Amino acid sequence: MTRHTRLIMQMVYWAFVLYLFIPLSLMVLMGFKDSKFIGFPIKSLTLHWYKVVIQDLELMSVFAYSFTIAISSTVLAIIIGTWAAMLLSQAKFKGKIIVFALITLPAVLPGIISAIALRIYSQTLGIEPGMTAVILGHTVHNVPFVTLVGMARLNSQPMSHVEAAQDLGADNVISFFRITLPYLTPALVGAGIFCMLTSFDDFVRSFFLGGYEPTLPVYIFSQLRTGMSPEINAISSVVLVITAVMGLAAERLMRRK
Amino acid sequence: MPPQEEYSTGSRSFWSWLATSKVYQSVSASLLGTKKRRLVLLAAVPIIWAIVANLGPLFKMLDISFYDAYPLSKGREATYTIAAWREFFVTPVYYIPFFRTLIFSGILTFATLVLVYPVAYFLARHVPKSRQMLFLLLVLIPFWVGEIIRTYAIMILLGNNGAINIALKFLGIIDRPIPFMYTSFSLGIGIVYLVSLYMLLPLYSALEKIPTNMNEAAADLGAGPWRRFWRITLPLSKDGIASGCVLVFLIATGFYATPVILGGPSSTMFAESIANTFNVAADRWPTGAAFSSIMLITTLTLAAVFLKIMGRRGKGYL
Repeated sequence: MTRHTRLIMQMVYWAFVLYLFIPLSLMVLMGFKDSKFIGFPIKSLTLHWYKVVIQDLELMSVFAYSFTIAISSTVLAIIIGTWAAMLLSQAKFKGKIIVFALITLPAVLPGIISAIALRIYSQTLGIEPGMTAVILGHTVHNVPFVTLVGMARLNSQPMSHVEAAQDLGADNVISFFRITLPYLTPALVGAGIFCMLTSFDDFVRSFFLGGYEPTLPVYIFSQLRTGMSPEINAISSVVLVITAVMGLAAERLMRRK
Repeated sequence: MPPQEEYSTGSRSFWSWLATSKVYQSVSASLLGTKKRRLVLLAAVPIIWAIVANLGPLFKMLDISFYDAYPLSKGREATYTIAAWREFFVTPVYYIPFFRTLIFSGILTFATLVLVYPVAYFLARHVPKSRQMLFLLLVLIPFWVGEIIRTYAIMILLGNNGAINIALKFLGIIDRPIPFMYTSFSLGIGIVYLVSLYMLLPLYSALEKIPTNMNEAAADLGAGPWRRFWRITLPLSKDGIASGCVLVFLIATGFYATPVILGGPSSTMFAESIANTFNVAADRWPTGAAFSSIMLITTLTLAAVFLKIMGRRGKGYL
């Protein structure tokens, strides 16, 4: 390409970066604004809204509730997803492509449809809306991701290690726990962090599957319907920082060679 | 053996103890003895999960969509009817948002492709390999934040006292704020903001794989930069375009909270119509199930047709 088009592309890239960062930066900025009114101009800055958030007991329990759901659904997703990754990358059998498609199906379902289908399904199974339903919903959504990450990592595993272990008398279960699992661990921890973030951030499943107790996004959503407030900015900014730190850590773990 | 050493090899001795224990060996032999048994053990959990947790809900949804009422009151049996499906085709309040969602998502998918292609191209072809990760991370971070928070951020950007209106006023371009919010425009900006990552990653990985010597060869044979782009780069990135567009389209049709927050009465999306059947009287569940089924079948069919046109085959379904 010519120098000219290259320059244009560089500008598009930086414009895109600005498009991504400006709204979030404004949101963080508004969280420090010394007025209940969201918008410009900003006269003075304060930490008041962060104090309000920390002292808000209801909000803290919402945080804890979301966190419990995120941990539980992640643990389940890792177990099932790793199992599926082992099946899809190690075994040879007919119809593998169909099994792969079935296991990764939730990744391509439009959010609202997945949420409604799970809402109906949990009702027919007698699971009332609430924590169990949300955990299962998030697990369904996260398994494909763990499977894909696990498969990618397994593809680079030197088979000689497993063969050596099995020559030394380990059966498949022992060689999995002693050789394959340690090899998978960094990728799985990375995938697990992303699963936690997805669960923590998920709105549509939590909204339709949840009972009266809201997860954090559902709580923010209900607050938003009554109008914007600097408190929401403060909560969102905290979540933003936690998310960025955890995401970067996960990214490092998943790409480690 | 001194106790310390025994402690330090504790985990190893557990596994060797397990491997040599008679009970475990017999269990292992009966469960893992033959190739077939090993496959069954490996396959059972994922396949049962895929059927029960992934397919089950969709089939149940399809089933309920033919009920005359659900949830059923005690002692009442459901009768099968196509009333809920019929309702969709005869009620403009339902099918208008449906077609609006499809068209709107299609337009947004194309807009995202046009916006993100140069970004992906720049990242994959012009940023030195050693710095690609850094440049990629810079655009990845905002996507880790959830749907609700990012939607809220767009609200702050586009509001009547939002950054854009204030900036335009400051520059003297406008006197009165432009009402961006609660329109198709604000919704479009918001959805592109939420989905562009799903376009960026497939495009980036497709573009990154194109060997540079192909372009060099074409240049040696006298092809100009645009010709090289149209004849080499674009066709070779077709797989990335196909996966990116399908992902973005499917995700864009499925948003519920974003249209509720950013959209207005003239941009009601089908997700809202579906959700409304669950908010009011409980006996409208079959309607919601039918609507969801219609949307699922339509979007997946469109995606499959699109992939077929783009000539994807033999690489899994995405």
